[in-house]
Amino acid sequence: MHSMFTCCPLLSHHRHSDDEDKEDERADSNDPEEMFQNIQFQKEIIANIRTRAWPMRRKLKALKQAREIVLKYEGRLTRTRGYQAAGADLLKKVSRLLYNIVVLFIPWEMRIKKIESHFGSGVASYFIFLRWLFGINIVLTIMTGAFIVLPELLAGEPFGTTRSKTIPQDNLKSAQDLDTIWSLGGYLQYSVLFYGYYGRVRKIGSAGYRLPLAYFLVGMAVFAYSFIILLRKMAKNSRLSLASASDENFTFCWRVFCAWDYLIGNPEAAESKGAAIVNNIREAIVEEQEKKKDTSLAVLISLRILANILVLLSLAGSIYIIYFVVDRSQKLEQKPELTLWEKNEVSVVVSLITMIAPSAFELVAQLEMYHPRTSLRFQLARVLVLYLGNLYSLIIALLDKVNSMSMASAATPAAVSILINYFQAAASAGSGNWSDATAFMETMSQPAEENLSTLVSNGSILERRNSTIATIAMVLDINTSISKVTVATMYNGTGTVEQNMPMKQDECWETYVGQEMLKLSIIDMIFTVASILLIDFIRGLVVRYLSDCCCWDLESKFPEYGEFKIAENVLHLIYNQGMIWMGAFFSPCLPAFNVLKLIGLMYLRSWAVLTCNVPHQQVFRASRSNNFYLAMLLFMLFLCMLPTIFAIVRYRPSQYCGPFSGQEKIYDIISETVATDFPLWFSKVMSYVTSPVVALPALLLLFMLIYYLQAIARSLKFTNNQLRMQLQTVSFRQCLSQKLRLNPKWQPICYTEDNFWDKKPDQQDSDITSHDSSVHTPSPRSNGSVTNFQSPVRHGNSIRTITQSASRAEIVRATTSAGSSRSPAMSMLNKQRVEQIPNRHPVYLGGPSGTCRSKSYHQVAYNPPTRYSSENIHSDPLYRKTSRAVHPAEAAGTVTAQSYAGRRAHTTRYVIVNEHEARKKLLRSATRIPRHFRMEEPVGEIVELIPRNIKRYTPRVPYGHSHRSHPTQPHLSEEEEEEEGGGKREARRGSFGQTHRPRSLSDLHQPARFYIGERVDSQQTQSPPRIKPKTSRSVLEPSLTESDSASLASSSDQQNSSTDQYIQVIHNKEKYLKSEARQGKLAKKKSKASIDLSVPDSKELVCSNV
Amino acid sequence: MFYNPYIVFFSCNHPSSTFFPLSRLFYRYRDLAPQLVPLDYTGQPDVRLPYELIGSMPELKDNPFRQRIAEVFSEDGEGNMTLDDFLDMFSVLSEMAPRDLKAYYAFKIYDFNNDDFLCKSDLEKTLNKLTRNELTEEEVRMVCDKVIDEADLDNDGRLSLEDFQHMIVRAPDFLSTFHIRI
Repeated sequence: MHSMFTCCPLLSHHRHSDDEDKEDERADSNDPEEMFQNIQFQKEIIANIRTRAWPMRRKLKALKQAREIVLKYEGRLTRTRGYQAAGADLLKKVSRLLYNIVVLFIPWEMRIKKIESHFGSGVASYFIFLRWLFGINIVLTIMTGAFIVLPELLAGEPFGTTRSKTIPQDNLKSAQDLDTIWSLGGYLQYSVLFYGYYGRVRKIGSAGYRLPLAYFLVGMAVFAYSFIILLRKMAKNSRLSLASASDENFTFCWRVFCAWDYLIGNPEAAESKGAAIVNNIREAIVEEQEKKKDTSLAVLISLRILANILVLLSLAGSIYIIYFVVDRSQKLEQKPELTLWEKNEVSVVVSLITMIAPSAFELVAQLEMYHPRTSLRFQLARVLVLYLGNLYSLIIALLDKVNSMSMASAATPAAVSILINYFQAAASAGSGNWSDATAFMETMSQPAEENLSTLVSNGSILERRNSTIATIAMVLDINTSISKVTVATMYNGTGTVEQNMPMKQDECWETYVGQEMLKLSIIDMIFTVASILLIDFIRGLVVRYLSDCCCWDLESKFPEYGEFKIAENVLHLIYNQGMIWMGAFFSPCLPAFNVLKLIGLMYLRSWAVLTCNVPHQQVFRASRSNNFYLAMLLFMLFLCMLPTIFAIVRYRPSQYCGPFSGQEKIYDIISETVATDFPLWFSKVMSYVTSPVVALPALLLLFMLIYYLQAIARSLKFTNNQLRMQLQTVSFRQCLSQKLRLNPKWQPICYTEDNFWDKKPDQQDSDITSHDSSVHTPSPRSNGSVTNFQSPVRHGNSIRTITQSASRAEIVRATTSAGSSRSPAMSMLNKQRVEQIPNRHPVYLGGPSGTCRSKSYHQVAYNPPTRYSSENIHSDPLYRKTSRAVHPAEAAGTVTAQSYAGRRAHTTRYVIVNEHEARKKLLRSATRIPRHFRMEEPVGEIVELIPRNIKRYTPRVPYGHSHRSHPTQPHLSEEEEEEEGGGKREARRGSFGQTHRPRSLSDLHQPARFYIGERVDSQQTQSPPRIKPKTSRSVLEPSLTESDSASLASSSDQQNSSTDQYIQVIHNKEKYLKSEARQGKLAKKKSKASIDLSVPDSKELVCSNV
Repeated sequence: MFYNPYIVFFSCNHPSSTFFPLSRLFYRYRDLAPQLVPLDYTGQPDVRLPYELIGSMPELKDNPFRQRIAEVFSEDGEGNMTLDDFLDMFSVLSEMAPRDLKAYYAFKIYDFNNDDFLCKSDLEKTLNKLTRNELTEEEVRMVCDKVIDEADLDNDGRLSLEDFQHMIVRAPDFLSTFHIRI
């Protein structure tokens, strides 16, 4: 809606900038206020010049001129203002330069643009999305890197000092083996990559950095940041696109007018785009035809059911396989020797499923025979469910394992841990000081022995350990003589113990989860690279170079070139990001890894797209403003956050590793910190805040807020709909009036009408009623009224009405514009007045089509000025032009009068601020217009013009409604009585003309082109019987219309300003329209009777059409 | 690089200077016909590049509407462009140009007979250009009817600028597709 109006002034400028140029040059008044206004005006020109649809030469000229004027006068006004302007100019230039520099640093901008210009915006949107994700991951990396990894590396205890940072002795040998590294064990496992490495010391370093707290907070901040950035992006996008706001259906239009991607600059892409467009349009046609014939195909339905069953089965199967694999890997870990396959089974299986299943779904989708777009949606939904199912089954299996781990550790009592402590100490002693170790062993021997005995009796699982324990016990018994041999056996002993109960000592479920996630991510990357190379590159090579030596055309038949499937690739990115979110808490370096991965993907994909891909045939509508990807990403984020949060809340952190070791729950770190490190009052406050007393009301408040916003959104939607309907009716009115104006058949009639009217001035009141109403019906008669001020046939009178109505319109609009630009309150007031008519709209909108169309005509004729206060001055020349074209002889006078009025807009601005003075000032400004005339027009014309102009601004409000309905009205003000003869009539006619002032440019700078559609025709033939009852009735039933307008427009009636009166004229029109709307049905029923009724009135009716 | 007063004037004073680096555009323009376009533009020479040159730019040569684009933006309406026209064209088709401006020019481009309305003949031409005459007459007629049916708010059987704007600003990817990179 907004944009519809902005363009109109823009175009009028285009037409009339020459006039404007003249105006600009004449602006050399010494009145500072006026000068200031002029400067503002010029500044507006400078600011908006980009948005004008002028040729470059005119733009340059206008810009130069405006600049000169501003420079010239601004200095005259104040010196500081000039400096300010210069400073602002400089700032603008600098910021532009900075912007250009920033653009240079946007990563891959050129690459994306290259892709965009080859393949269009669809493919590019994938890369833009990738880059956006890259940005997010950069921030996440910085967060984790700066607050977790770096402090740990710099201030944390170095590698090998504590147990959780030391590689167990027996793993040390294989810690550098490739397959250990590959499975993220060994050195990698005991590094900053994973949760387990981080120390549990509350404060580290000399500055006392609270690493555990930071770890927790950053882990949460990762989610919070992702949420915020996602939602912001979505909000921005939805603000950008009007598409979401409307539920209109422009399928064919968009397919025709937005189909071509102007970015395409590559013959192949153009070719495939053309083919895609043809396909698209054909599909739309088929769809349209399908709509008409609804065939219920039992086969199709059963096929679809079958397809869905297949999809569900494959989903269930994939989930089962993943669960099974994770379960099996748990068992496999008991085995001492694992093959490469066994180690990577989980990730490989998951990646394979994510690769294969989408293709399977695609096959299944062919069975369904949906419309391509629908099937694409289905496909996306299924793939998303599959990905989520994969991730979820994996994480659930992992958590299951975690559960069993903690169960196992709970089964063996604390004795085991003591034992382990002991052995660990011994082991470390083995590498260190011998004597210390012996002393330690002596102290430890006693409890250790007891523990061992309990341990021995503990269960069969520990049987294997017994022998070693026994030997150790023996060693302990003879501990006085320590030799290297015993130490060696002891080593062996500890080794076996550790090997036998790995979960008890080193196993750290958080690290384990992190490892799995990282592994998954790596394998996924490998598979992606492999698929790009194999499926795209090799295939492309084969197709290109082997097509000559093959019996069929490889390029167009079977293998073809690989398609770039935007939607699936985007989904893959989303899945990848989901893995990162899921694992980021347990593996702080995962975002950093993802950054690397995305960089690699960017280069590889863009290379593959440019070398060996063709764009997808069915272009998925995915522009930058499309929220679809983002919505999926948000969904993914939410679902990926859940398991992490669940694990954090539900499970006990590992006892011997990680920053939270020793705590009951991970989040205890917060309450602990609050309790120990904050002042007492804070913890008190915290306890209050977290108590239900505060939380529940807050929740309630939130709900209320949501409800409120929802209600606002609903009402906005309603308004939107209404505006759309009004727009529809307006454009209908416009085109109708244009047609009528152009139809030469009606012009003689209106000419006679005019004469007739002049003879019978005393009938004006009833005239007005009839003419008001007749104007607003799409009847043949109404054309007379429209032609009245625009047909080239007319002379003196009609021209007078032009100038009058136009200048009046100028003033009215000037007041509104001034109000809106000066103070918001005033603009509100003006709007209120002006928009009474739109307010009434809902009442009519449901009426018969003819009437409801006519009504909203006024509304938009008025609304643009109020909304675009700065522009309405520019829109006038447009009107000016037509009037000039109509009557070249008097054009000069008209034009100057109007431009003068346009200028007046500036002076009246401050006038309006004072409401009571408004009228007088307006009067003055109105009287000045004729004065202007006096200079350039023959005097004879003015005599009549002055009173008419004044009259328009006389207060008549209290009686405005009532005296209209009675032909002779005694309640007139003195001024009015003076000029009652011609002035009043003119005023009404003028105001009515003003409402009909064509707003649109299209119907103005338009050669006479005549086209009447079928619907219009039918309406025109229908309407004549409708007018008659209306006019006669409205005279008969004044009370009804009166009360209507009084109740609906009460706010405006309280203010006796001149504009009110003006509005009321229209109100009355509305009234009659309404009565017409009501009686429209009646009219159909008893059209005969009404025709009889109106026979005596027929003359009056005719004359009213002036 | 050398000093070109006109370009310097342009890059700081030009209304569209935030849209494009102007000197680049100037060189693009000049590269089309180095023998025709002088380097020194201070005298504002009246140079027009013929449409054949403009239409063969890689940015335009695959565009089915290239001739219309050139015609709409050229001052003479024939597709022969001055530097100003050229700048004009790329400023409107740049990424930064406002939506309304784009919509206005898109309308102009699709309005083949310059009557300020998109009537059936315009639509047919548009369709045939888009699809390279691959649709049958029947299909073209049907699509034209549907388009008018959808977007014609005032039921006059053709699309006015308002109708067009109303429709096009709601298109989700109008902004992203109606621009040309240079």
